[in-house]
Parts: sequence; C-alpha cells; structure tokens
Amino acid sequence: MTDTPAGAIGPATLKADGTGAPLLETRGLTHRFGELRVVCDVNLAIARGELRAVIGPNGAGKTTLLKLLSGELRPTSGRILFKGRDITGWPMHRVARLGIVRSFQITHLFPQLSVLENVRVAVQARHSTYNFWRRAEALPGVVERARALLEEVDLLPKAALPAGVLSHGEQRHLELAVALAAEPELLLLDEPTAGMSVEDTQATARLIRRLAERLTIVLVEHKMDVVMNIAQRIVVLHFGEVLAEGTPAEIRANEAVQDVYLGRGRAAGAGA
Amino acid sequence: MRWLQRLARRPMLVLAVAFVLLPLVVPYYALASHMLVFGLFASAFDLLLGHTGLLSFGHAAFFGVGAYTAALAAKLFDLPLLVCLLLGTAAAGLWGLVVGALALRQRGVAFAMLTLAFGQMIFFVVLQARGLTGGDDGLRGIPIRGLGVPGFEWRLDNSLHVYVFVAAAVWLALWALQRVLASPFGHVLEAIRENEVRARACGYDTVRVQLVAFVFSALFSGFAGALYTFTLYFVALETLHWTLSGYVALMAILGGSGTVFGPLVGAGVFILLRDIVSTFRDDWQLFVGAAFVLCVLLFPRGICGTLQDVLARRRAPAAELPAPAVAPTLARQPREG
Amino acid sequence: MDATLVALVTQLFTGLAVGSLYVLLAVGLALIFGVLGITNFAHGAFFALGAYVGLTVLGRTGNFWLALALAPLVVGLLGLAVERGLMQRIAARADVMSLLLTYGLAIMLVEIIKLVWGKTGYPPTVPAGLQLPVNLGFAYFPAYRLFVIGLALVVTVAVILLLERTDWGLIIRAATQDREMVSLLGVENGRFLGLTFALGVALAGLAGVAAGPIVGIFPDMGTDILIESFVVVVVGGLGSLRGAIAGGLLIGLVISFTTLVWPAVSQLSIFILMALVLLFRPQGLLGRAA
Repeated sequence: MTDTPAGAIGPATLKADGTGAPLLETRGLTHRFGELRVVCDVNLAIARGELRAVIGPNGAGKTTLLKLLSGELRPTSGRILFKGRDITGWPMHRVARLGIVRSFQITHLFPQLSVLENVRVAVQARHSTYNFWRRAEALPGVVERARALLEEVDLLPKAALPAGVLSHGEQRHLELAVALAAEPELLLLDEPTAGMSVEDTQATARLIRRLAERLTIVLVEHKMDVVMNIAQRIVVLHFGEVLAEGTPAEIRANEAVQDVYLGRGRAAGAGA
Repeated sequence: MRWLQRLARRPMLVLAVAFVLLPLVVPYYALASHMLVFGLFASAFDLLLGHTGLLSFGHAAFFGVGAYTAALAAKLFDLPLLVCLLLGTAAAGLWGLVVGALALRQRGVAFAMLTLAFGQMIFFVVLQARGLTGGDDGLRGIPIRGLGVPGFEWRLDNSLHVYVFVAAAVWLALWALQRVLASPFGHVLEAIRENEVRARACGYDTVRVQLVAFVFSALFSGFAGALYTFTLYFVALETLHWTLSGYVALMAILGGSGTVFGPLVGAGVFILLRDIVSTFRDDWQLFVGAAFVLCVLLFPRGICGTLQDVLARRRAPAAELPAPAVAPTLARQPREG
Repeated sequence: MDATLVALVTQLFTGLAVGSLYVLLAVGLALIFGVLGITNFAHGAFFALGAYVGLTVLGRTGNFWLALALAPLVVGLLGLAVERGLMQRIAARADVMSLLLTYGLAIMLVEIIKLVWGKTGYPPTVPAGLQLPVNLGFAYFPAYRLFVIGLALVVTVAVILLLERTDWGLIIRAATQDREMVSLLGVENGRFLGLTFALGVALAGLAGVAAGPIVGIFPDMGTDILIESFVVVVVGGLGSLRGAIAGGLLIGLVISFTTLVWPAVSQLSIFILMALVLLFRPQGLLGRAA
C-alpha cells in the first residue's frame, strides 16, 4: 500500500481505521479545464473522525479537489458520496447544509462586517434566512453560538472590529470560525496556516488537532511538519493523480514521494 | 458630537421631524412630495446596489409599472386610493419576480444589461398600447382620490394634502425597509454583497436570496411609483424610460449607496437641484452628467457615506478604517466570463 | 422572381445594412469590454458625436469621404483623452463604477452636442454619388445601404486582421482571455489600454458618420441604439468579437423582418430574442461557457 502507482487504487480498497462505510467517498473523480486534467481519477475513502491530509506540489490539483468536494465545481466525471448519499453535482449551499464545509485558502471573509457579524451570519444559515422582520441581533441562540465559536478560535476580544482590519493570522482563525459555524461534519481546510509565522502555525495546528476530536477533517497543507505531526493518513497528489497514500511514516518512506518533493520534484514543483 | 450620536440611534424619529420641516424650506409642496417619492425609489433601488451588491439598470420599469397600474386602477375601475397603491405595488413585485428570476442567471454587467433590456420591453409595450396608456402622451384623466376612511376623507386634491399623505406613506415604507435591512435576512444580503462564494459556502442559496431581495426592491419601487401617480394625477412615459433607471442610480450614489438614508438624501438633492437649475438653464442635464462624473471620481461614498467616514474618523482617529464601501465591494464581484 | 421573394430579399439586404451599423458599434463595445472590462455607456454618445463631426467636415469641405475618415479620428482622440484622464482614475474600482462614470459622460456629451450644434436634428441626406439605387439583378436597392454593408465588412476584416496579425492584436486577444495576464507579461499597460479604448470609440464614431444618411442626425441618436448594441453584445457573447459580429447581423435581420411582418413588435423583438438566448444559452451565441 505504501507505493501505490497512480490511479491504480480501487474504490473500496481503502477503509481507514478499519471502520465500516466511509463518511466521504470519491469514485474516479475527474475534473478537466479544457484539455487540462486537473484532477484525475481520484478515489478516496475517508472514515468518520479521520484527519486526512492532502499534499502535493503546486498545481497538483489540491484546491480543485476541495472545490469538487464542496460543490463549488462540478466534476467532469466520477462520483462523490457523503454519508452514503450521492452528492455529485449538488450546488455548494446544499452540500454545505448536508455537512461538508470548506474554508478558503485566500481569506474569504465578509470584510466590512464585524468579526462577530461574520460568524453570526454563518451561524444563522442553520436557523433563518427568510426572516424579514426580527432584529438580526435578537435571534435567540445565534449570538451566543457565534461568541462561543469566537472563543474557540481565541478571537472573542476582537468581536466588534471590522473583519478587514484583523491581522493575517487572525483572519485565518476567523475563517475557521466561520467554517465551523455551519456545523460541518466534514471540514475541508485549504492551507489554514499559509503565510503564518511559526508561532501562529503551531497555535493553528493545535486548534486543528482539537477540532479533529469531534470532526472529520480533510486538510490541504504545504507545511510538511504540520502535516506529518497531525494527520492520521496522507494522500499525495501529483499532476492531479494520487501518487501515494498512507500513514505519515509510510509517506515519509515512499520513494516516489521523495522524488517529487526532494530531487527532481523541486524543479517540477517550481515549473508547475 | 454626543447629541448627534444619540440622534443617530433614533433615525426614524429624525426622519419624521425632517419630513415635517421639509415643506418649510423647499420652494413648493409638490416638489417636496417628489423629493420623498424619489427618495423612496432610490432607497428601494439601493436595497440591491448598496446592500446586495447588484446593479440593476432597469429599475424605472418597477417604478413605472407601479405608477401605471395604480393610475389604471383608479381610472378604469374607480378603485379606492389604498387599493390602487396596493395593486401598483403588487404588479411591480410580480414583474420583479419575472425579471429577477431571469436576470439573476447572470452577474455583474450582464445582469445590469438584462435588467435594462427587460425595462425597455415594458417601455415599448406601454408605448404601443396607446389606447390604454396614452402612449408617449402619458396617461391622463386619473380621478382625484381621497383616503376613503369614513370620518377622515382626506382628499388628495391639493398639494398640501398630497404632501402630508406622501410623507406618511414614505415614512412607513422606509420604516419597513429599515426593518428588512436590520433583519436576519438583511444581514444575509450584506454577507452576499461582501462575498457571494463565501455566503454559499455557509449554506446560503444565494441566488434565491438575491431573488427575494430583487422582489422586495421591486415592491418598494412600485409603491413609490404608485404614490407618484397621485402627486400629479398624470403618468409620463418617461417614468418607464431607462434614463430614469440611470438617474435613480445617480441619486443613490450621490447620497451614499449602502448607507441607511443616503439614497433618500441623494434623491432629495437631485430633485431639488434639477428643479432649481432647470428653471434658468435648459441644459440642466449637463450638470447632471457632470455631477455623475465628479461623484464617481471624487466621492464614491456619496454625501452620507463621506459624512459617516468623517464622523468615524473623528471618533477613532487612530483606528484603521474599513475600506470605502461601494466601489471596492462592487469591484470585487466576480465577473462571469 | 415573384414579388414576395423580391420583398424578402430586399428586406434581407435592409437587415444586413442595419445590422452592419450594429456590428460596427458592437465590435467597439466588445473590444472595450473585453480588454478594459468597461461597459461603455458613452458609446452611443460617441456615435452621435461622430455623426456631428462628420456633418461639420462635410459642411466645410463637401467631401463625404473626408468626413468618413476624419470623424473617427477626432472621436478616437477624444476617447484616448477620456481614458487617460478619467477611466484611469477608477481602474482599480472596475466595472460598475466605470459603467456609472461613462453614463455620466454620455449625458454630458449629448448636452455638449446640443450646445455646439443645436437641438434640432438634420434629416437623412445621402451623399452625392451614392444616391441612386443599384440594380441587384432582381430588384433595385439603395446604393448607400450597399455601401454601408461593404464598409462594415471592410472595417471588420481590418479589425480582425489587426487582432490576428499584429503584436498589438495579440495582446488584445490575450487580454480578452485574461486581463491580469497582460500586466504579468509586462506590457506597458497604460498606452495599450488607452489605444484600445480609442479604437473602440473610433469605430462608434465611424458608425455615426455612416448612420447619418440612413437615420438622420440628432443629439439623441445614440441613446436607443446604445441599448440595442448592448443587446447585440449580450446575444453574441460578452467580450467575444465574433459574437458581436454575428449578433449584430442577427439583430439587424430580426428587426428588419419583424418590421415587415409585424411592425408594432419590431423594437420589442430584439429584447425577446435576448431573453430567449440568455435562457437557453446564458453565455451568448459565441461566448465561452463560464
């Protein structure tokens, strides 16, 4: 299993941690932009409660994979199953309501709303969209939930500031809180530590590990140390295909992965 | 500055006082009525531009449909005033549902073009249906209406009575609009304006939400149009032409798009200035155009937006301010291509 | 050939002539939209300005051909000044603001035209030498309209050659695909954007001179045709030049034939057509899918 050739994994061969049906499964997931195959025949099976990392050089198709899983993009072919339901081609908001929520790589906030409002609007999605009359601040439970989420990501003291003025690290944490507000069962994280200082990265890694105790997480990440530390299993994408899959130790020992990342990989990564 | 902040917390009260004082400073009552009617129209328009991030360039259609429907209801069926207003509002809302459902398949400029084209469709239909609408002569012969409440027969047959009625109706409508903006739904709109993809990721069906906002905007625009009918008892074909759609955008931006009462202020200033300038210059549109250009170049936040910034800066000189509202958020709208 | 067929073919040519004007306008609009991301609401005003400048040149020199050459030049230069002086300032604030800015500009231009040339218009006067009908073999057709079709054809081919054979054209094509790419390529952005805008509005000016002998010359002549040109661009596919050409001819034909069959709905028909296109093919006839 440690040295899996690209695209050779059958759909049902993977059952992480030996548990029953996976929470999320993809079968032959493929996405093309014109002639370019960005994601190619990817088969994943992610168990409930797992913290799965997706790594790969630039242009390997990691973000596209997340977009496919969250419904932002429609796959060219292949299927996505979540909790046993075929959700292929569902619009993003329905996917989100079913329980898959993604955070964004480029901080995707509501910059002029306050920190609290950012989270509140996200929490509200579970409660009330078409309430035209009540004051938004007075929705029962919503504000409390939003404050609790801010507490969780250590942003409560800044609740009243406009989100646009937060520091980069703080914005990434707010991004997480907004994603959590939708009460996901499966959280897709797109490079949550990108551009962070070492201390912030460590704090975020701790936060992710804490979240992993109650959520299933798919984590796209560049920083190897973070991935190796917190992920249970790792998928390596290369030119849109699954190059290898396994535990951190297995991935570290994998020659194909080493080639991509260390030797020739540097040049390939830079050129992609 | 304290008293200003305290007043800002009671905006509807401030508005009521302003409506009482307005006819005292404005040259004549009918002008004051028009300032309020177009103020409501601009506010309804800005529900989309300022609060949802959608630029409609066909809003004259909703104003015009409201005006013509109310006028025909009075003229052909002799219905009471409130029923006429209701019908005008409902007709505009229905047309808003149709246009919104089709136009929201697109975003950005294509959306603006679509709303514009649907607006022109109505324009040509009304122009052709001369027998019913009077074509380009406008619709005349609308019977005088009164409030029709037993014991309080407030007849709208002089400009003071008209003003009092219009002021009350516009105040109520703006109050309702305010509530919508402050409601959970209103906050979803702001979120969509700020970042549509993100709102979708939160689980909002953003197209549906925008459609509802569009219908709301059409309803309020139609109500403004219906009110307009009973200020002059005449509906001009120009109420449907796309130039009015352009003017209403100018009013909203001039006053401050995205602020609570900016569009109202902008419309007031626009109508007042147009009235004054056009009495001694017939090339008043030159000034309208110049105002447009200067406003976009120098004060994209408009009168109220700029004022807000100044006040905020005075209150918290050190704090970083959020970026100006209108322009960048609109610029950030993803272009479909 | 029987009479109905002759009428139909004549109408076909009329449709092509009207469509040719739309093509000239829409190609300019699509060029400006594709490269600068600007929805140019002043396009109709530049169209009218072209007609008036042409009128003045014609009045001074009596030479229609000179008018046809000079008016686009004057309009293009003004366009260059507008882009450098005004559009640049809001470049970062993109599409909706530029739409409003050009709208304000359009209002001003029309008023300035009224100040300079007066409010009353001039009836259509076909230039000497193009007044006679031409025998097409089956029917007579106004020579001037044939000329307009030919003019649009020549100009469109020239624009296409410019786009496909020159470096400038290559950059324009790249920019319509991905505007950010161009600045990455290190192209000197400013002058390039200004010239593209100038070229776009010069085409509008040319259309204005060409339209004068058909529709007459009056200050608001650009108002309705602007909206129709937008319809053309949306129907053809936003930002697609070939779409603008196809859309222009299609709209011209639709107007021409509905005028023949049911005049009351001729102005309405194009909006219905646009609604249908957007319902069944949201990206327009030749636009790329999103």
